[in-house]
Amino acid sequence: MESTTPNPTSTAAAELLTGANAKLLLDSVDAFLFDCDGVIWKGDKLIDGIPETLEMLRSKGKKLVFVTNNSTKSRIQYANKFRTLGLSVSQDEIFSSSFAAAMYLKVNQFPPQKKVYVIGGEGIVQELQLAGFTALGGPEDVEKRAQWKSNCLFEHDKDVGAVVVGLDPDINYYKLQYGTLCIRENPGCLFIATNRDSVGHMTDLQEWPGAGCMVGAICGSTEREPVVVGKPSTFMMEFLLQKFNLSTSRMCMVGDRLDTDILFGQNAGCKTLLVLSGVTTRSILDDPSNKIQPDYYTNKVSDILGLLGE
Amino acid sequence: MEGFTTTTTKASAQPLENADVLIASVETFIFDCDGVIWKGDKLIDGVPETLDMLRSKGKRLVFVTNNSTKSRKQYGKKFETLGLSVSEEEIFASSFAAAAYLKSINFPKDKKVYVIGEDGILKELELAGFQYLGGPKFGQQEDGEKKIELKPGFLMEHDKDVGAVVVGFDRYFNYYKVQYGTLCIRENPGCLFIATNRDAVTHLTDAQEWAGGGSMVGAICGSTQREPHVVGKPSTFMMDYLAVKFGILKSQICMVGDRLDTDILFGQNGGCKTLLVLSGVTTLSMLQSPNNSIQPDFYTNKISDFLASKAATV
Repeated sequence: MESTTPNPTSTAAAELLTGANAKLLLDSVDAFLFDCDGVIWKGDKLIDGIPETLEMLRSKGKKLVFVTNNSTKSRIQYANKFRTLGLSVSQDEIFSSSFAAAMYLKVNQFPPQKKVYVIGGEGIVQELQLAGFTALGGPEDVEKRAQWKSNCLFEHDKDVGAVVVGLDPDINYYKLQYGTLCIRENPGCLFIATNRDSVGHMTDLQEWPGAGCMVGAICGSTEREPVVVGKPSTFMMEFLLQKFNLSTSRMCMVGDRLDTDILFGQNAGCKTLLVLSGVTTRSILDDPSNKIQPDYYTNKVSDILGLLGE
Repeated sequence: MEGFTTTTTKASAQPLENADVLIASVETFIFDCDGVIWKGDKLIDGVPETLDMLRSKGKRLVFVTNNSTKSRKQYGKKFETLGLSVSEEEIFASSFAAAAYLKSINFPKDKKVYVIGEDGILKELELAGFQYLGGPKFGQQEDGEKKIELKPGFLMEHDKDVGAVVVGFDRYFNYYKVQYGTLCIRENPGCLFIATNRDAVTHLTDAQEWAGGGSMVGAICGSTQREPHVVGKPSTFMMDYLAVKFGILKSQICMVGDRLDTDILFGQNGGCKTLLVLSGVTTLSMLQSPNNSIQPDFYTNKISDFLASKAATV
């Protein structure tokens, strides 16, 4: 679809990627945006054929960008992960939701003398620090436990002006309580979610609860809705566009999740390709209750290589 | 939250000026506990005398709490420790409600219940004859909490016989428990998702608010993209249950509570009279705020005002 306007309500059925339409797709885009979990890797295992496919795309002059909702790592840490897996990707090509959270605070002029409480991993803390903000919580609060004796008051820093919530496998009651008090009691405190993915492939063998879980917990205790900076919000696209002088219609978003990756691509006016190597199966795509139809679908990224006869 | 709405535009709540009239007009008083009878482990002033007075007037007293950490029996002990004589049969905690709900739908005894919550829920399930797993110490090793190692080859197994996941307040909440419940709900066909309650905050100590059951329930909603069946207030399940059990008409009941979106809504949804006390989480300004659309019939400072009004009657 050559449309430059987003068409999120399109329900024309997704086309299976073939030799013919794969060639057309390649000719019509200058940049491929890849999700990571379930597309490039599963946990710490690379999905088959990825290195060769990415190399082929680069050799054809395509720009490659990696847009991930997984906030546990910073861009630098992701670049390291890519390197460990034998792929050469620079941090400028990576847009993680951890980076997005820090950028959201920056573009909205969050005062540097205010603090940010993090329910999430090292990735968020690092990106906040890189952007010049003071981060509390994160991995530091993993071992903390709340006390509830009569004379014990659970204290929280009154200077916290924002709570950022992302994927946190070390979630505990202490963090929930700390974040809840900040949001409920510090006037004007922001509630930011890196993303709201319900589950994801944190390991190669099965899905695990995603940030949607931790965010849901804080929604439950504060009765507030967060600002979401990750997919399907197009916030990260602003930064992408600053880096690449391209129209979004010349981009293809490749992802495994309909309600984040594909919706993100559609909202931004990109072409969209769903891969079935992650959380979405063919039957979920075809189910009548599914309203999100990508332009194309295929089993995995390396199908592009195969279909083009490369 | 359940989608209950009040069907009539409510007049503003009236300050309770003539308690005797209210007392005479109802047969049963339902009391919330936290913020009404006690705060943390401290009894609120004048409660024993007030309850005695109501009993002496032949009123039935019932205690309905969303707090699922204790069973009815354990609550009975708490009342006793505080010097109040209240029997188990008069207490309806959301822990009991979860078990009673499963009973009411004939939840098969060969299926299991997975619990994200504390002891009270486990005890009530056991009393009701259900097989359960989970609870506060679930997944813990001897030396502390189970650490999840999200590395290649790690697979969490879950019991395929779990037919219901019950979620309530859990101070020992962790990722392991969330994953277990998530797998049951997403992968066991027909698995129920039941919430004891969805209170955003609760008064664990009398000094401040603490993240409540709504937090744990919100977490599971987030990972499963499903909404739970709520058995605690403001759902009327417990009201319907005790109306049948005691053979009482709801119009003969007055609900007394400190929270608008659970206690008062519960009373209104059930068709009872409602009395808000300001001895708990709700202040007068919250009640009178333009943002508040829940108006009880009456409000007063605390339940012992029943005694003061009586004395003040001309």
